Amino acid sequence: MSLLAAPAAASTISPASNDDCLTCHSDSSLKSSAGKPLFVDQDKFKASVHGQAEIACIDCHADLKKVKDFPHPEKLQPVNCGACHEKDAAQVKASIHGQPQEGQIPITVTCRDCHGTHEIRGKDDPESLIFPINLPTTCEACHLERVKTKRGRSFIEMYNQSAHYKALEKAGLTLSANCANCHDGHNIRSVSDPQSLVSRKNIIRTCGVCHVGIRMGYLEGVHGKDYVKGSQDVPVCTDCHSEHNIQSPEDLSSPVYATKVAGVCSRCHDDERLARQYGFLTSRLKTFSSSYHGTASKFGETRAANCASCHGFHDIRVSIDPKSPINPNNLAKTCGKCHAGAGKNFAKGKIHVVSEKTENKWAYFAKIFYIVVIAVLISVFLIFIAADLYHRLRIRWKH
Amino acid sequence: METLNSSDLIRDDEIFLRMNPAERIQHFLLILTFTILIVTGLPLIFYELKIFKTLMSFERAFYIRGVLHRIAAMILIVNIIWHFFYTIFTKRGRSNFKEMIPKFKDVRDAWDLFWHNVGLTQLLYKKGVLKTFFEKHPYWLFEKEPEFGRYNFIEKFEYLAVAWGSFVMIISGFFMWNVELSLRLFPLWVHDIFVIIHGYEAMLAFLAIIIWHMYNVHLNPEVFPMSKIWLNGKISGHELRTLHPLEYRKILEERKRILESESL
Repeated sequence: MSLLAAPAAASTISPASNDDCLTCHSDSSLKSSAGKPLFVDQDKFKASVHGQAEIACIDCHADLKKVKDFPHPEKLQPVNCGACHEKDAAQVKASIHGQPQEGQIPITVTCRDCHGTHEIRGKDDPESLIFPINLPTTCEACHLERVKTKRGRSFIEMYNQSAHYKALEKAGLTLSANCANCHDGHNIRSVSDPQSLVSRKNIIRTCGVCHVGIRMGYLEGVHGKDYVKGSQDVPVCTDCHSEHNIQSPEDLSSPVYATKVAGVCSRCHDDERLARQYGFLTSRLKTFSSSYHGTASKFGETRAANCASCHGFHDIRVSIDPKSPINPNNLAKTCGKCHAGAGKNFAKGKIHVVSEKTENKWAYFAKIFYIVVIAVLISVFLIFIAADLYHRLRIRWKH
Repeated sequence: METLNSSDLIRDDEIFLRMNPAERIQHFLLILTFTILIVTGLPLIFYELKIFKTLMSFERAFYIRGVLHRIAAMILIVNIIWHFFYTIFTKRGRSNFKEMIPKFKDVRDAWDLFWHNVGLTQLLYKKGVLKTFFEKHPYWLFEKEPEFGRYNFIEKFEYLAVAWGSFVMIISGFFMWNVELSLRLFPLWVHDIFVIIHGYEAMLAFLAIIIWHMYNVHLNPEVFPMSKIWLNGKISGHELRTLHPLEYRKILEERKRILESESL
């Protein structure tokens, strides 16, 4: 109010220039009546993308264009970035950030929350708040503490453990995925929104922006072919690799680490309902576990074959597909990756045998033979021992 | 129950050598390798058991398990080769082997000993059941314990079981070790049979040792807590007379003959 009451020192006809504004706003101690600093750092503004483009204060603080008498009223309209950044503003408005959030304090995220104000830099400027290396910190400003989602706020902490973040942070690899690569910058939507980049409908394309070869492989495999048809059952990237906490398969904590792959695949491939619907066999984990490969894998031996070693991973194909690594014609090559020199004999038998009775009758016969021999022999031993002890007891009773 | 009386020619406290040092070392190596093979092999069969997961939680545990299993197998094979040559090229080895050959008598011994221990027919006879039958055929009363030679049917069975078991385990194990070679020679389904046989034969051997051998040499009240023959190789005249009466008689007759030839 004191500003209003002050006499007009200088009244100009032409709109206020930046210098006019800075007459007051270069004072670093200038504060609003509520105690909010009103200082504008000239150097920072001049270095900013808007300063470089010689955009004037009143271009953004547009309601000052009409003000003739300075100092101007304290209460100004919020800056409308959309006046220039029309498309971006519209996207944000439609996004989850543009909607008031449910909760105790409705928060609507505005441009300045992510981009800053006077010091805004170009997105390729390392000083920019949205420069790839800086972006996680920018998002974390809210998502680490203030904002709680249904799944809690741990997902951003999980991202900080991920291979994507490690590459970004440790190596400064700006190509590595940051928040905006997967969630978009402005068009951020809930995962359940089909328009979201991370929705089931879009996730393959989103990850495939960087992982092009993997996306192409995936789309050629059985999972990808059904995905394209709109199946809700086939796995997408995140079903196997997890979401924020994506790790290299060589990392022990990755769900697709060599010894953990079987657990991931069997989530669906041991599922009775899916097996009935798609006509595949269940007990994949059980039959794998009882094999030498599976047992070794269970005890942490990473060199033992897991599901992916034989079936491939992104472009998994059915065995009748000539390109499938488990096609009988390719088995010698597939098994030969580890068992050098093992030839066509690998195809003469069954892997994942549930019942040897139908799959390998000689093995079944050997098994039954041994079970009978063991049962008979152990019974005979025990009967003999019982008779011997009984005899000794009888002698003792007599004496 | 002593059917033989002690003789002046063989004192009860006289010490005979039942297992010489070579035989004891062979037996010791067998215990050692068998134990290692069982311990390092069982996790493959009982992969669900928590104890193996706890024991093998350190890094490379599974690999080390495999290496130990193969080392033990190699020692066992060397031991068997040694035993083979020992049996062929030493007089004692050949004589032991002759004693070890199973005969029809061994089957009858097992039968007789079992019914003698059960004592059912003696009980029936005492109660007056089938009296005339038993008087006519006293064999069916099984009154006398069968007399064993140097090796009784139990020991012969165990020896043959080890021989047969080792053969099966070494052949199947060799092809499991050299899976590439195995699959160059056989189709996969044959290799799978090797795997199944190796596992079940191991179970058989393990149970046989735990139940049968452990009872006969440890828990049997006759020797409890343990027969010390495998450690010092010694058997007394008394033990020889009660446990191996036929061998006792053989030694006795030998000594009588020497005595007679000396007195001549």
